Amino acid sequence: MIMSANALLDGAVVYYAPGGSWSPRLADAVVAATEAEAAALEVARAAAEARGEVVEPELSPVGTDEAGRLVPSHYRERIRALGPTIRRDLGPQARGEHAHVSL
Amino acid sequence: MYRYDEFDAAVVRDRVAQFREQVARRLDGSLTEEEFTPLRLMNGLYLQLHAYMLRIAVPYGTLNSRQLRQLAMIADRWDRGYGHFTTRQNLQLNWPKLADVPDILDALAEVEMHCIQTSGNCIRNVTADHFAGVAADEIEDPRPTAELIRQWSTLHPEFSFLPRKFKIAVTGAARDRAAVAVHDIGLRIVRNEAGEVGYRVLVGGGLGRTPMIGKVIRDFLPRTELLAFLEAIMRVYNLEGRRDNKYKARIKILVHEIGTDAFIARVEEEYAKLDGPGVNADPAEVARIAAYFAPPAYETLPAVSQGFEAAKARDPDFARFAATNLFPHKIPGYTAITVSVKPIGAPPGDASSDQMRALADLAERYSADELRITHVQNVVLPHVKLDDVHALWSALVEAGLETPNAGLITDIIACPGMDYCALATARSIPIAQAIATRFADAERQALIGELGIKISGCINACGHHHVGVIGILGLDKAGVENYQITLGGDPGEQAALGQRLGPGIDAEAVPEAIERIVDTYLEIRSGADEAFIDTVRRVGLDPFRPALQPRESILEAA
Repeated sequence: MIMSANALLDGAVVYYAPGGSWSPRLADAVVAATEAEAAALEVARAAAEARGEVVEPELSPVGTDEAGRLVPSHYRERIRALGPTIRRDLGPQARGEHAHVSL
Repeated sequence: MYRYDEFDAAVVRDRVAQFREQVARRLDGSLTEEEFTPLRLMNGLYLQLHAYMLRIAVPYGTLNSRQLRQLAMIADRWDRGYGHFTTRQNLQLNWPKLADVPDILDALAEVEMHCIQTSGNCIRNVTADHFAGVAADEIEDPRPTAELIRQWSTLHPEFSFLPRKFKIAVTGAARDRAAVAVHDIGLRIVRNEAGEVGYRVLVGGGLGRTPMIGKVIRDFLPRTELLAFLEAIMRVYNLEGRRDNKYKARIKILVHEIGTDAFIARVEEEYAKLDGPGVNADPAEVARIAAYFAPPAYETLPAVSQGFEAAKARDPDFARFAATNLFPHKIPGYTAITVSVKPIGAPPGDASSDQMRALADLAERYSADELRITHVQNVVLPHVKLDDVHALWSALVEAGLETPNAGLITDIIACPGMDYCALATARSIPIAQAIATRFADAERQALIGELGIKISGCINACGHHHVGVIGILGLDKAGVENYQITLGGDPGEQAALGQRLGPGIDAEAVPEAIERIVDTYLEIRSGADEAFIDTVRRVGLDPFRPALQPRESILEAA
């Protein structure tokens, strides 16, 4: 599992990264691989929500590709990682981010 | 067009100042997200998948060129240079930054616009026939009624915390182009036997997860009694509508659960108790509002324009446009033009800021400075001289807005779907693009005739799929986008909900399935004058069912 949210200022997708920071890059996401780690991530989610530093933090399942890069399991999260599939000039994909993620 | 008086202007300015402070308090941490969310929603600011989204109200879809230019400026300055016209005749910006929104609202207020009542459990922006005031089949312009309701309902304290959102539509014509039967309240302007003008009142229509056709609860309501009668309906709903379950909170569920007769009895009982004269609008105020919608100064022109006829004979592309995108105007020598915001392969309803400015220029030059946003996600120039149509069309060609498909199979309604929307379960726009591309040939589209495809990316049905002649609903089936197809929906005066054709299919299979449905129709229609909807009504769904099966299985069966 990883945790994502929307940034307060512009609503852009951000990932919960080590040290309690938030990153626009999927590769920076803290991955919870065990049930105990997922429980800890849920605690961090509730705390982030209470602090209000981001909007709508939520956990979602993630896998890895052959190169070991993180790939969100559900197509909704893959679309969030890229941007609108009908406007490749907008969202993280426009900056070349997450090019290894495909729908 | 309606012009703000000092009260309208003050209300909007105060609201912006209030929201500016609320945003500042969210940013400095004095407001929690939980506290802030209802405040931002009351100002039309949503959070979507990739960014915030600002929904700007376009009351009954009417705009002037100054307003559209301002929307283009806002899209350029604070967003990504485009906007999306919605099925509620509004405009959505998909990328505003939170801190900029108060400035955007100020810029809107400069041109008498706002985002109030575009979200939340209140009476939403009132919609109307996009050919209001010009349609040849009209009894009366519905916009004065819509504006009266807007003024009555705006920030009305009694109706600011309804069980759920509440949508009202008004039409004044014989043909219902405002889909009034699928609104919480639908008003049809009608004439009684004595020749008086009043309202037929429908209540309890709606789409979403429990689609319903509205029930007539008053066949003829005298026009002077409108607001008190609406207030009686709202009171019954406010008191008895369900607040225990969000999915059962719309008025359609109340009407359905207690029955139409019991609902009518409750409304009439409430109505009898109301102080009608205290609630109803002063006739002088009604007349003041109506005066703003007086028609422009039309010229006296012959019904036939020689220049227009000659241009059609000369230029087949123009002739095709003229055959599809013109609508009969009540004044001889004039027409209303539908500008399709559905170029083949483009996202339905998305207009760039350049296109908005081009449309504003054309409205100013050729259409008495007026535009309409349609619930079909197109733009109407309502007052164009036939003599000017060719020059206007040439300008549309330059702006990439000349697609001759109004009302045809590629004039598809599609909600934003999972490309933007946080509620979506599947994408809508790529499906619309794939279907439009497959049916791109204009001649074939003309052969198929009037056919409205409507696509929603979740059961909330913003894409009106239930009332699409062909409706498409995108769902998440075990982590894969899956699409259900319905046939036979009708948003008009013979309102009907589409019936499911069969099990859902994958995204890649949708264009092929639509093609086979259309081929079946072309094969079995009684003639070129039998529209798709009439064929479905005549033969039912069975002849269309094989269209959903993979082609190989049909070949095997044969």
